[in-house]
Amino acid sequence: MRSDSWSRGWPGSGGGVHALPPGSRSRFLHGPTRRDFLRSCGTSALAIAAVELIPGAFVTRRASGAVPPPDRLEALGAVALDRARSLGASYADIRINRYRTQTVLLRSTPDWATGAINNVPSVTDEESFGFGVRVIHGGAWGFAASADVDKDTIARMTAEAVGIARAHARLRGEPVRLAKVSPAKDTYGTPIEKDPFGVGIAAKVGLLQQVGDEVRKVPGIFSVTGFMEQRQEDRFFASTEGSVIRQTIVQVSPEYTAVARDLKARKTKTRTFRPDAVCGGYEFIERAGMVENARRIGEEAVNHLKAPPVAAGKKDLVLLPTHLALTIHESIGHSTELDRAMGYEANFAGTSFLTTDKLGKFRVGSDIVNIFGDRILPQALSTCGYDDDGARTKRFPILKNGIFVGYQTTREQAHWIGQEESMACCYADSYASVPFQRMPNVWLAAGEKRCALDDLAAGVDDGVLIDGRGSYSIDHQRYNFQFGGDAFWEIKNGKVGPMIADVAYQSRTPDFWQACDLIGDQSTWRNVGLNRDGKGEPGQINAMSHGCPASRFRGIAVIRTE
Amino acid sequence: MHWDRDEAKKTIERILSLAGPGEWEVDLSARTSSHTRFARNEISTSGFVEDVDLSVTARRDGRSGTVGTNDLSPSGLRAALARAAEMRGLMPVDPEAVEMLPAQKYPVLEKYDDATAGARAAERVSGVKATLGLARRRSLTAAGFFENGVSHRAIGNSKGNFGYHLSTDAELSVTMRTADGTGSGWASGSSPRFHDLDAKALARRAADKGIASAAPRDVPPGDYTVILEPAAVAALLQSLQFGTLQARAADEGRSVFSKQGGGGRVGEKVAHESVTLRTDPFDARLPGTPWSVRGGFGEGAADSLPNRRIAWIEKGVLKTLYADRYWAGKTGVEATPFPGSLVLDGGTRSLEDLIAETERGLLVTRFWYIRAVNPQTWQLTGLTRDGLFLIEKGKITHPATNLRFNESPLVMLQNVEGMTAAVPAGRMVVPAIKSREFTFTSKSDAV
Repeated sequence: MRSDSWSRGWPGSGGGVHALPPGSRSRFLHGPTRRDFLRSCGTSALAIAAVELIPGAFVTRRASGAVPPPDRLEALGAVALDRARSLGASYADIRINRYRTQTVLLRSTPDWATGAINNVPSVTDEESFGFGVRVIHGGAWGFAASADVDKDTIARMTAEAVGIARAHARLRGEPVRLAKVSPAKDTYGTPIEKDPFGVGIAAKVGLLQQVGDEVRKVPGIFSVTGFMEQRQEDRFFASTEGSVIRQTIVQVSPEYTAVARDLKARKTKTRTFRPDAVCGGYEFIERAGMVENARRIGEEAVNHLKAPPVAAGKKDLVLLPTHLALTIHESIGHSTELDRAMGYEANFAGTSFLTTDKLGKFRVGSDIVNIFGDRILPQALSTCGYDDDGARTKRFPILKNGIFVGYQTTREQAHWIGQEESMACCYADSYASVPFQRMPNVWLAAGEKRCALDDLAAGVDDGVLIDGRGSYSIDHQRYNFQFGGDAFWEIKNGKVGPMIADVAYQSRTPDFWQACDLIGDQSTWRNVGLNRDGKGEPGQINAMSHGCPASRFRGIAVIRTE
Repeated sequence: MHWDRDEAKKTIERILSLAGPGEWEVDLSARTSSHTRFARNEISTSGFVEDVDLSVTARRDGRSGTVGTNDLSPSGLRAALARAAEMRGLMPVDPEAVEMLPAQKYPVLEKYDDATAGARAAERVSGVKATLGLARRRSLTAAGFFENGVSHRAIGNSKGNFGYHLSTDAELSVTMRTADGTGSGWASGSSPRFHDLDAKALARRAADKGIASAAPRDVPPGDYTVILEPAAVAALLQSLQFGTLQARAADEGRSVFSKQGGGGRVGEKVAHESVTLRTDPFDARLPGTPWSVRGGFGEGAADSLPNRRIAWIEKGVLKTLYADRYWAGKTGVEATPFPGSLVLDGGTRSLEDLIAETERGLLVTRFWYIRAVNPQTWQLTGLTRDGLFLIEKGKITHPATNLRFNESPLVMLQNVEGMTAAVPAGRMVVPAIKSREFTFTSKSDAV
């Protein structure tokens, strides 16, 4: 179910990023979609029923979560590739993918009538399986996808894809040209210690309950919502160039939010604990300090409610990684997407101030700002072995000493800027989605000199320390932005003081990054993961990490958001 | 996979017959959709997708588990049902669980059109061709998105409830940028009927806007009288569907519609007397479903209530807040479906009238990247995009550099000075609105 034309129903007119609250299935108002998946196999007796073969039809159906074995996937893939070739396609690839998502949620709120605490649980297991075929015919792209993974449907949909390319070839200028890759026969898997789908529901709900109980020990808490999501993508890719790649990506993301309220003042404030969402197993959730931080999070929610509003004006900002990550994402991540810069996303996400004439020349940040695109960084959410073009993933510079030196690209895009190689940033969020350029992990390097949080605050007379994500909005060329946070502390005369509230800052991307005068050392660096970045038409989501150290920015316009 | 009503009913009955003890809910959908993207005056990517989606929820004694799958084979169904039952057994009791709905009488909504269901790449090409031709003739660069699809959807449960809905939708949006990169215009149309979309008219509108918006001049941020075109109005109101109209948020003191000390502001005057905001699933111009579809996280058990006309704000007075069945039961109000299919009643002025009656103000084509800054005041931030124009002494004098706003739509609805007739925009039906003292806080160089 993909009623994508409804997808612009995300909050706000622009589906820029992070529009979806955790656990939301509201991307399509027409009804929930299940592109994400889920099936917590665990100890379930029905878990591994393997592949069901219906004689004659060559139908492959996973009865309960098993991916077809490699030889069957290859046989199915060959149907598409052979059909595409025979119809005259110059290139074709097929992805046969399975997606699993499990979402566990626990909200505790006082009962309206009695005031007793109600713990409201919910769990959803989702799984989807299907294929998408992409062809180049007559220099134009065609794509078709279905959830019916059988030989006949694959052949029929391959013909549909070729038909689309044919219909569109006349309205195509220069033919699509792909950067070279070495055909690969390979596998990749996210290293995990503990399969998150193998951990029982009771343990997960139990952890969220423990967190909620601990937060609630702080007087003045109204509600606590705990959330845990596990995803797995089993990707199969085969192309007419000879690549055959199987990958398994596993991601976990836990978080919880405490809410404090003052009914008389009509005020509510929140505080969220969001450990790094990572590619990895359940061990990351166990080691995330969920319970250990609960009391502090509760106290900070209550203090946030009592905190005085900020006095607006130009201030120095010290930004912690959990906050800075989304600032990097919005201002640097999106502005260095080559398709945006060229105008391919002009109708929705927008274009970019970083036009191709600026590559290698334009100063975005100060000398100390070094930012990389990266799909090989361990544990980062966008990390995998090969992208959805079949290109080997890599690391590449985006900003070097503040100068813009690199775009995110796919195989189709490399030659647009005279490059021979793709930066391997091609991704589709479902078998049913057209692969296109998506953001890799984009991370800020730590400073080499010793610089802890205290050192960052030390030089600040009048400033704000910001942690976590608040409301984020940026224009369609990635210049003007307004970012809020989750928690704020005053910095006066070099010392971090009490909490303040109602803070947002406004700046312009190059002004902001050139105002960066001190970057924390590796001890302050965290590999912060983001889910649900939105881009494209029909809308697709993506997850990536934005590792960064705590950093300082001078003289930024702070507004009061009451 | 396409089902008519009888086939859908049989499929759901088959699923329920395989289910074990306890109560069960089934939500089944199939969609075929097809799209064409274009940019830089050529077609870029396109797709054709057939997909299915099944969700089963097992309930018993306040416990529940939900499983989603697209595997409708007998073994796939059995596995999904068994898994849902297993999860139900492992979950704690939900103290906010409500009884499953018995058989409901759902309205029949006419949202289906054969031509829209059947249109493929070849049918979209003529509209795209016309758009690209116009762009070239006027030295503009076009980008856009053209999509059409058909959805079959059915729900059912073990208490005998059943609903079926067949719908189509089509959408075309176009952006036209000037060669020097200083101007950008946009237009968009959507309808359950493919042939309602007039590609040439949309292309012309986007092109006119693009050319008119070129070489903008800075205007200082500050408070302005604004004339918001329908797309801009719809974008501001969209956030109503993400919690602002929720009774629970208001009662618990978490929303702009909360009273001091708690409780909602139903019955209070919250907007100008010309403001009437309704849900109307029967409006042929709007998408709508026969039953309420959950809006998002935390929206509770609104699923499956029959959809109906509801006035949320009438003549400026807050009449109704959206209450799911749990919250309605707790607080003694009537449960309502989710606030979809929104209509903001219009007025009698034309856009030209509103401009002519403005001494100094800004005409806003649309907004971008709107986010809530403060739910308690419903303050939003966002930016103008694709055509901002300065109005002086009743005339548009020049295009203006884009601006960021920080404003509450409620303030905008209180300061209304005039409205046009309501038209489809942003999957709502809304007028253009003239409103005073709309706050812009900084300049955006983006085009």
